[in-house]
Amino acid sequence: MTRTTKTLLAVTTALLVAGAPALAGQGGNNVRSSSRTSVNRNTNVNRNTNVNRNTNVNIHRDIDVDVDVHHGYGHGCCYDDHHHPIAAAAITAAVIGSIIYSLPPACTMVMVNGFTYQQCGSTWYQPQFVGTTTTYVVIASPR
Amino acid sequence: MMKHNLRRNPVLAVALTVLAAAAASWPAPAAAQAAEPAVDPAATAALDSMGAYLRTLKAFHVEVATEREEVLDNGLKVQFDAVISLVARKPDRLRVDVSSDRQDRQFLYNGKEFTLWARRLNYYATVPAPPTINELASALEEKFGIEFPLVDLFRWGTTGGSSARITAAVDLGPSSVGGTTCQHYAFRQEGLDWQIWIQLGDFPLPRKLVLTTTTDEARPQYQATYSWNLAPSFNEDAFTFDPPADARRIVLAGSSPEAGASK
Repeated sequence: MTRTTKTLLAVTTALLVAGAPALAGQGGNNVRSSSRTSVNRNTNVNRNTNVNRNTNVNIHRDIDVDVDVHHGYGHGCCYDDHHHPIAAAAITAAVIGSIIYSLPPACTMVMVNGFTYQQCGSTWYQPQFVGTTTTYVVIASPR
Repeated sequence: MMKHNLRRNPVLAVALTVLAAAAASWPAPAAAQAAEPAVDPAATAALDSMGAYLRTLKAFHVEVATEREEVLDNGLKVQFDAVISLVARKPDRLRVDVSSDRQDRQFLYNGKEFTLWARRLNYYATVPAPPTINELASALEEKFGIEFPLVDLFRWGTTGGSSARITAAVDLGPSSVGGTTCQHYAFRQEGLDWQIWIQLGDFPLPRKLVLTTTTDEARPQYQATYSWNLAPSFNEDAFTFDPPADARRIVLAGSSPEAGASK
């Protein structure tokens, strides 16, 4: 994706994400690197876990899950054990495959084949671990 | 200022020139050594002994306090603490609790299945697991992008261990860690400078570890201090996940995009 396209998308995103202007343009809070935690690492653990890889239209750029970068502060992303209402405002359209760190309000938990899903209006989310971080990916209805 | 002084003071200028010439003529090998210390074989041997000793342990419980730094886009370096409690029985039982402000996770492995449980959210994922802790560590890293807690404790002393990659090794002498007398060593390998404090005596355990990541100019660090129990008591149930009443099963997103979306 070219830089121009990215910028256009970002602008579009900013327009789409009405009600959450504070989320846009938080450059500086993203993590550019973190210390290694082991001497004997077989592989670059983060190499294959860029969960946005196949998400072409990234509506939720502002709460982008990029595990290569790992965390972005103030995006409702890091303290994943707490639900951050701030992320909820970003959900205006749900593109299948897009990923968020916390759910919008008023979702219903539904079990299908022993696995957990969250239905939020007409949108379905599948909670998942990406590495050890919990995220929610938009999916087609599992039923 | 300096220019001004030199112009007015030819004697000083000459003296400086002589000094500079003297410095330049100093033996080159000394300078090269300072840039890249040699590998002290005693230091790598100590590392190998520690690894060999770790491989003899049949079971252990280790409590570890960690501090990990991250570097933000604007260069700010920030630090996060965590506490890790790990019980292992070789070759195929493992229970790890990792607790920090951000995450509270439990890793359970009983030789057949691996479970990751997010305690506060009460989500868990269970997947079939390979037959040994070491194979599990590799599988979690490669398939699921999961950083295996304290993986060094299982890789030191194995053929995949780090000593072959070491380009510098220094013995820094005795050092006390929490009242335990250790020997302090420093090592360099690609992208990483690190130090380890190894307990002196019959139980050459790692007591402290400091990693300095050198691929970012901010050089973020990780520090771990270990408290060991080599005679832990536990029962078999400790390694199998028994879902709490409200626990909800979710998936582990694999490295392929489909893995997370299907099933």
